[in-house]
Amino acid sequence: MKENSRIQGARRRARAAKAGVGALAAVVFGVAFVGAKIHAPGHTKGKATPLGAPASFEHKVRQSVVQGGQIAPAVQPPPVASSTS
Amino acid sequence: MSTVHRFRTMGCDAAVAADDPATVVEVLERWEETFSLFRPESELSRVNRSRAHVLAVSPLFAQALEVALGVAAETDGLVDPTLCGRSPEVVLSERVLSRPPGLALDLNGVVKALAVDAAAATLEQPGFVSVGGDLAVRGPVDVALPAGGAIRVVEGGLATSGTASRGAHLVDPRTGRSAESRWEQVTASGATCLGADVAAKVGFLLGERGPEWLDERGIPGRFVSAGGEIVENDAWATATRAVPACT
Repeated sequence: MKENSRIQGARRRARAAKAGVGALAAVVFGVAFVGAKIHAPGHTKGKATPLGAPASFEHKVRQSVVQGGQIAPAVQPPPVASSTS
Repeated sequence: MSTVHRFRTMGCDAAVAADDPATVVEVLERWEETFSLFRPESELSRVNRSRAHVLAVSPLFAQALEVALGVAAETDGLVDPTLCGRSPEVVLSERVLSRPPGLALDLNGVVKALAVDAAAATLEQPGFVSVGGDLAVRGPVDVALPAGGAIRVVEGGLATSGTASRGAHLVDPRTGRSAESRWEQVTASGATCLGADVAAKVGFLLGERGPEWLDERGIPGRFVSAGGEIVENDAWATATRAVPACT
């Protein structure tokens, strides 16, 4: 009898240990899963956006080609002329 | 300002006021060597002859082509290096050019002005570089205008586009034919000679809408019709209005 109760006790402890290890693994998995969902860059969290520069930036850069210069009324006889070539 | 030297380059009359005109001439000649459509051995001629789909180009060629493609995008294809609205088919990655074989490039829309800007960048003293009437200044320079009058270019460049001297040589990429416009000559002021040249071409090609297009971008423009009528857009009129002296 005494031996049986020792075996049963050992089985109880073993079951408790298995449940503890299983619960701990589930908690670690859950935390890692949620963390990856939130932080991993490859994880889809919303609508994909293009990797290129924003359109407003591109427009600004392109705008720089065609920009007005500075002119004023002439004050001297011109040494050069602008004309079609 | 330095003495004005006059000579011919890029098929045009040129005038340069520079302490070291030889450096300016050297820069202009380098651009002419690379981009002339009339020199069979120019890089542009060789690229246009090539049947290859992909080919490597020089840094200067890549720089000019990149600018030309940017200008085509910015002007909605009005100034287009393919002259037929096919610039989206031209792809440049660093110095590697890809385009359908047989699709010829014509960089005349930007090359002369880019060359003038490059040459003007070598000026160390006040002066100017003018090729075929496209001008970039270092320091204020007074400039005579088509159909009479003059203005002072304080900073940047000035360019005139139209049909007055060479007839209908401008191609409208929208039609692929010689451009027709209400204007005979359009002069624009830009932060650079390139900006001025592109603005003048677009102003010419857009006809009635030209003055408004330039005003929307704050670009001074002066439009001369075939009948001699002169129209200044708001930016031009404001900039050149003489301020009355204080009494």
